Amino acid sequence: MISLHHINLHLPDFSLTDIHLQVHRHDFFALIGPTGSGKSLLLEGIMGIMPFTSGILLSDGRDITRFPVEKRNLALVYQDFALFPHLNVFKNTLYGTTFHNISKKEAGQRFTYLVSALGLEKIVHRYPHNLSGGEKQRVALARSLILNPQVLLLDEPLSALDPVFHDEARQLLKKVHKELRMTIIMVSHNFDEVLYLANRGAIIKGGRIMHQGDILSIFEKPDSRFTANFVGMKNIMPYHLNGSSLQITGTRLEIIPHCPPDPAHQYMGIRPENILFHIPGNPVCKNHFTGKIKDIASCGVFLRVQLETQGVMFEAVWPAAHIKQFRLETGKTAAFGFPSVAVHTF
Amino acid sequence: MKQMDLMGWLFLFLGLPLILLLTLPLISMTTEPSAAMLKETIADKDVVAAIARSISLSLCAAGLAFIMGTPLAYLLARKELPGKRLLEGIIDLPIMIPHPVVGIAILSLAGRNHPIGHFLSDVGIQIMGTKTGIICVLLFVGLPFYINTVKSGFDSVPVRLENASRTLGAGALTTFIRITFPLTWRHMILGIIMCTARAISEFGAVVIVAYHPMTAPVMIYERFTAFGLKYSQPIAVWLIFISFVLFVMLRMLSKSIHPYNR
Repeated sequence: MISLHHINLHLPDFSLTDIHLQVHRHDFFALIGPTGSGKSLLLEGIMGIMPFTSGILLSDGRDITRFPVEKRNLALVYQDFALFPHLNVFKNTLYGTTFHNISKKEAGQRFTYLVSALGLEKIVHRYPHNLSGGEKQRVALARSLILNPQVLLLDEPLSALDPVFHDEARQLLKKVHKELRMTIIMVSHNFDEVLYLANRGAIIKGGRIMHQGDILSIFEKPDSRFTANFVGMKNIMPYHLNGSSLQITGTRLEIIPHCPPDPAHQYMGIRPENILFHIPGNPVCKNHFTGKIKDIASCGVFLRVQLETQGVMFEAVWPAAHIKQFRLETGKTAAFGFPSVAVHTF
Repeated sequence: MKQMDLMGWLFLFLGLPLILLLTLPLISMTTEPSAAMLKETIADKDVVAAIARSISLSLCAAGLAFIMGTPLAYLLARKELPGKRLLEGIIDLPIMIPHPVVGIAILSLAGRNHPIGHFLSDVGIQIMGTKTGIICVLLFVGLPFYINTVKSGFDSVPVRLENASRTLGAGALTTFIRITFPLTWRHMILGIIMCTARAISEFGAVVIVAYHPMTAPVMIYERFTAFGLKYSQPIAVWLIFISFVLFVMLRMLSKSIHPYNR
């Protein structure tokens, strides 16, 4: 659907380097990376706002690398929605229809459908300065969707919204993707929203693609320390192979993996939510240990627990109810473990 | 609005001489002429013609600034041109140089000895002693005020809005007409007001390029040197009054258009 081959974009103080990307039809594709990694720049490059220095951009097999912005049949929804302040919702939404040879009748039908689908009935005569963040987002989506673009590009669509509108907006994006069978490319630095919305994605760092593929695979099987850290994987440690188990470097601690790791791999990692609390004397996992609780810190309804065993520190995320029920506190010992499938090497 | 505190009163006390410096001469000048004298002055056809000429030629200069200065202001606000800082400096130059120098510079360019002056003469354009010459001078002195005001207007429109318009299928020129222009035309009105105001008050350059046909400031100067203060004041009062009404109307027009700015 959208393919980028050997894309480079050089600015005085930043570059996108040798970007290869494949976005399939009906994908909800997430470009994920920390602030300043170049993800928004890449989105603007795909849109044509920042022309690529070299490389090829294909849309449905057609080379659109040198097409002007307005001829690409892509639509971009900005982080702050960029609604035209001098036009009301009605005029904002219909703005692009005059440039796409859409008849008035067709535009009217699409408008009626979108107003109803996105719940804009009560605000069509309002101006942007009288809209809430969630309403602005819906108008910006309607303004793009009315043009029936081949691909919808979203630049951090949830980051400008109050937490109150977050859930509503996420569901709306999911609905748009599902019902209109849109191909969407979204930029985000928030892995929670990416996991909820996207099916495929790419991690970008310093203007380079680090990893791309299925979102769950990026989340559960990162291929580098950077990606592992970025997607919230913890307990990242260097190891060496000791028969069929992994021995953590510098200690005697051995961990049994699900399958023999790639000989080129050097690190292992375990997601903190995969480290389970065991009732003493009743281990349920192949890898089970008893350790000393070094710290307990709140992270919402869960608690982040630091456990030390045989000189190795593990980080687990446990429900507050467990901590209360088993009277766990700093300095006490606790039994814990993790299934072999939770051990990931890279 | 914050209540005045001790510091506020101190600052007001320090600024008071300036307020008095600005207002007292104007109050004195506008209240001194009697009603009969003002009536007699406005009945004088030469006075009416001079004031009308000052205002109309100033508006002409502002109109030219609008037509040619708007694209230039847009370029300066949006594009990275080679020598952009130099160009900005050149545009600001008329604010700094003495106004008779402006008149002399324009005359030297428009003289028969200069190729441009020769060319203008050949195509029938006279600068010396004509309305064209006056407009030329007024445009020269008013242009920085127009360009700088409109440029700050363009600066205040996020580039993202223009990009958003492009992503929705509008070309660059259509985007300018449908997005950028409606969002900046209050600045353009303000620029026209600034440019016109500067042009109406211009004396030093005009008097060199065209003593006749006479503009209001030249007439005020002539009446002052020929007949004294008493005969020049009423013209000045009428000029100030008419200009004031004109500017208030323009400001009201610019305020009334945009519902999103209420």
